[in-house]
Amino acid sequence: MSRPSLSRRSFLKGSAVAGVTAYLAPLGSDAFGALFEDRVLSPTNEAWQLAEGKMRFRLDGIAKVTGSKVFARDIRAKDMPHWPDQQSHAFIIRATRCDHSLKGINLSRLEQAGLMPDQLVTAEDMKRDKIEVPRFFGPDFFLAKGDTAAYLGYPVAMLIYHDFARYRLAKSRIRFADDVVTYGEQTPLPEKPPYGAFRYIRVGGETPFAEDTFSALQETVLYPDFRKRHPVWPEALENGKNTEKAMFYAQQLQDKLANAPDDWLVFEGEYNSQYTDHFAMEADNANCWFDQSKGDMHVVCGTQSPQELVNWMPEVLSNSSFQSRRFFLHPAYTVGYGSKDATIFPYYGLIAALYADGKPVRLANDRFEQFQATMKRHPFTMKNRLAVDRETGKFQVFKQDLTANGGGRANFSNSVAFVGATAAQSIYYMPNSDLTATAIYSRMPEAGSFRGYGTLQTMSATELMVDEIAGQLNMDPIDLRLRNVFKSGMKNTQGAIPAGHLRNEEILHKARNHSIWTERETRKQAYETAHPEERYGVGFACVQKDFGHGAESAFSEVRLTPEGRIEVRNTGAEMGTGYSTGQAAVVAAWLGRAADQVRTAEMEWDDMQMYETTSPYFISQEEQNKSIKDPRWTPLLLQASSASNSAYYFSFPTLEAARIIFRHGLWPAAQEFWQRGIGGGQSAPYVVREENARWEAGHLTARGMEPLSLEFLAKRAHEMGLITGVISHAFNRWEWSRADYEINGRSENLPLDGLAVQYGIGASEAQKALMTSKRGYHLLTRKNPYIPPTQRNNAGVTYYSGCGTLVELAVHTGTGKVSVLNHHTFLECGNTLVEQLVSGQIQGGIAMGIGHALYEEMPLYEDGPGNGTWNINRYHVPRASEVAVWQQTSEILPPLSRTDPPKGIAEVVMIPIVGAIGNGIAHAIGHHFRSLPITPDKIREVL
Amino acid sequence: MTTEQSKAAVIPTRPLKVTINGEAQPIEDIPEELMMLDYLHEYRNLTGTRFGCGRGMCRACTVIVDKPDGSSEEVRTCITGAHYFDGKTIRTVEGHAQRDEEGHIDALSTVQQQFLEHFSFQCSYCAPGFVNAATVLVERLQRKPISRSQLEGTISEALESHICRCTGYVRYFEAVRDAVLKTPGTTKEAS
Repeated sequence: MSRPSLSRRSFLKGSAVAGVTAYLAPLGSDAFGALFEDRVLSPTNEAWQLAEGKMRFRLDGIAKVTGSKVFARDIRAKDMPHWPDQQSHAFIIRATRCDHSLKGINLSRLEQAGLMPDQLVTAEDMKRDKIEVPRFFGPDFFLAKGDTAAYLGYPVAMLIYHDFARYRLAKSRIRFADDVVTYGEQTPLPEKPPYGAFRYIRVGGETPFAEDTFSALQETVLYPDFRKRHPVWPEALENGKNTEKAMFYAQQLQDKLANAPDDWLVFEGEYNSQYTDHFAMEADNANCWFDQSKGDMHVVCGTQSPQELVNWMPEVLSNSSFQSRRFFLHPAYTVGYGSKDATIFPYYGLIAALYADGKPVRLANDRFEQFQATMKRHPFTMKNRLAVDRETGKFQVFKQDLTANGGGRANFSNSVAFVGATAAQSIYYMPNSDLTATAIYSRMPEAGSFRGYGTLQTMSATELMVDEIAGQLNMDPIDLRLRNVFKSGMKNTQGAIPAGHLRNEEILHKARNHSIWTERETRKQAYETAHPEERYGVGFACVQKDFGHGAESAFSEVRLTPEGRIEVRNTGAEMGTGYSTGQAAVVAAWLGRAADQVRTAEMEWDDMQMYETTSPYFISQEEQNKSIKDPRWTPLLLQASSASNSAYYFSFPTLEAARIIFRHGLWPAAQEFWQRGIGGGQSAPYVVREENARWEAGHLTARGMEPLSLEFLAKRAHEMGLITGVISHAFNRWEWSRADYEINGRSENLPLDGLAVQYGIGASEAQKALMTSKRGYHLLTRKNPYIPPTQRNNAGVTYYSGCGTLVELAVHTGTGKVSVLNHHTFLECGNTLVEQLVSGQIQGGIAMGIGHALYEEMPLYEDGPGNGTWNINRYHVPRASEVAVWQQTSEILPPLSRTDPPKGIAEVVMIPIVGAIGNGIAHAIGHHFRSLPITPDKIREVL
Repeated sequence: MTTEQSKAAVIPTRPLKVTINGEAQPIEDIPEELMMLDYLHEYRNLTGTRFGCGRGMCRACTVIVDKPDGSSEEVRTCITGAHYFDGKTIRTVEGHAQRDEEGHIDALSTVQQQFLEHFSFQCSYCAPGFVNAATVLVERLQRKPISRSQLEGTISEALESHICRCTGYVRYFEAVRDAVLKTPGTTKEAS
């Protein structure tokens, strides 16, 4: 097979939208402001506490708590301006067998009830009308007659109704009927080669800080070919090509494990992580209207990746025989945990509209359909080997061979597998490692992006493994962790040095001194005396999770009006995490208070004239060197809102833009005021420097200067023609791009690869002549650009957030039921944008982690969700009583300084609780489980 | 393809009379099989009450039925037919805040205000169910106060069935505790 995709996003590129112009207008934007009740976001001045410099509530809070229309699911045709009022409805019927070919569909139940659909859409329509599935999502949209489904739940037909009542009744008539989809001859179960495989080999130097002997970052990652579904690795040659050298060192490590000295413990264990559902409460939906008279396609949906839809939906349209000229995407606020990132679902909404007789049509999954059809978490099998020096407890060689089951569509399976592998080291320094990740096809409904993205699986396994090893070494589990903890400046299993100071050691010390840990034996005795049928246990786990995709980019615009109003516009989407609130708050660092207006999911950045050419993950260094010469070229224009990327990466260009306005707008305006008067005014007796500037209660001061309000400074900056607006673009490949820009005659080196500025209303004629872009910006031309070398793609990760959790639990010896009694979490995340949002993420992540550790699981195949009968009556999502709602506590490590960057944390917070629960159960009953979830059945079997 | 309509369905309907958020709704013929959630969404365009599981388990679809005796109860609209509500008075999440004549919000209810200030929800899909459940609880405690020491247990019991996937429940529960404590007459000293 060809070299597998390393990219989570490579499919976004190269999609020329021939002949169809795309427009994007989020439902929270001005275009819909009058419609959606005061807009979704409250005025910032009601939420922002000036004195404390904090948010009192989330900006979308009032809309959300009063049941306003914030989700795409809430939208009906009559809500949309210029749409017809009549709303049609659609649903999909799906194949539930992969062992027979498709014969057809039998709608006699509907016919008898007078409930035949107004339109029926099948594979034949797709073929006739040339509607092709985007390559990333292959295979086809609908199963053709005579073909066998590649996975359970494969769409067979879509039924469209022009009135709700008939739609509703028809759907209920055939919901669980097994005679609607008819099958022909028996066929073998489908088989396909793996989606891809990766191998990261590292042999460290003399010390963790010395040069590596071999690493992926220095040399290469391995991508094997496959023959008969088995990987074919290069020959092992010490002095061969990098790939051959890699195999030489892999063999060396294998020999070390096979012939380990007597003073090594070589631990071996197979770990399994299960198949789970996101259970995002807003199930997938889309409401679309194809205005046949104009050739306009309108799409309302919730998405984590609007830029993907803007690129790919017009391509589907332009390739088809439908006469479509314009494409309008209206993304709404939503929730996904990954499930609305690169999902095929919205494309079915688009198809529905093409066949709905020119009427708006709504395709909205119910929960059975959602379980059947949406992406899931990849089940992992991990074969771990870890050699440990018995005397020192130091880890020597780590080998992992993991298989990620990706189901019937490839989606992000390759990257989930390799991200999982690169996280497997958890918080430990591994001097030697050999990590192989393989993503495989199967007939289960596809797996894709899901909070944790492979790392939940691998780090939970490692954390379970470390406790088991500690037991075998008769060592305290936290002591063993401390002996191996990854410290700042060390290299990860890819050979990269992570960004900044890592603080896992601090978390370990805090955990070791916490009363849950220090009193665990006395508490165990007391609890078991009071509850003779239960066994008490304390568990701990600690992980560090990367944030970001490896290639990150975002646009951001910050504008200051003459009245002192701050307006922010950028590319991130609101997924419920409080992104819009965070973006409003982040500018306060430079502008003294939160933004008055925030626009999210914005995709129109023509002012910058920037373009991309190929995948940032695949581009060669040579091509990058060539491309970089054009100042409008960037490796990546936009990134989706996922991988915990918003707090750091999406805030970055916003902060840079605000900083430029401060330095080139507000600060000179303030200096001009302070220097007014004879002898240099009030500032003359002091030395007032820019670094002395402080915002206090919305006023700027510096070394005792008269505090000046933002309103005053904004007015003056405008009058003086200073910089009052900035659009910035930033690109990160595990480090930021940089370039020189000439701003007001002064050259500055900035971590941006695109920049445009706007001068205030008092700008000179010469300045005004430069502001020629659509929004009135002066587009600057970068000089001496530095774009991180392509080799850094092999770093796998350099940005980490650390998180550890202690848990107290009890196991009922009769029923095997586990009760989580209490837990305490330590999180390192730099400076928080809005602390309550972070703590909310901790609490929510832990609940999801408890579900993964104890409850959530589904069969993969015929008995699993693909059969269409799954709902939460058989899939247990944690309730309040199961998460220690009143007892739990957490602490966010104070930042090292006010300059620490905010870090992405939405994923890391759900991971340590999983290992902690497993380790707590081991403390309670003396058995180390290696397969998740740890259900009462499994416990009873052991007991 | 356009399908052949061999016969049009005759869908049995009945007139439905219901009062929602203080307003008597126009009496319409509504299909007998229709669930109340569908009525709210498709006939009244009140979409704040959310569809979660369709089996009455997640409680995102909860509304309040106000009884003539002044008491109220939660009812799940995804599993309760619209005609069950004939002649009844209900409150949905859209009806709790005070609004001006143009429908703009003047003041949130105590429960809503506490949810807001506690950053209780994230995506908010489940928030309508929590608003209604917490409101029913607060009103019940006004009628029948409990001792302060029973409060956390009472909240746990009242909200246990409501599912939230984002928040881990903590900020909802803490907000409800504050809402109760800020509402006079809901708690009493333990006897």
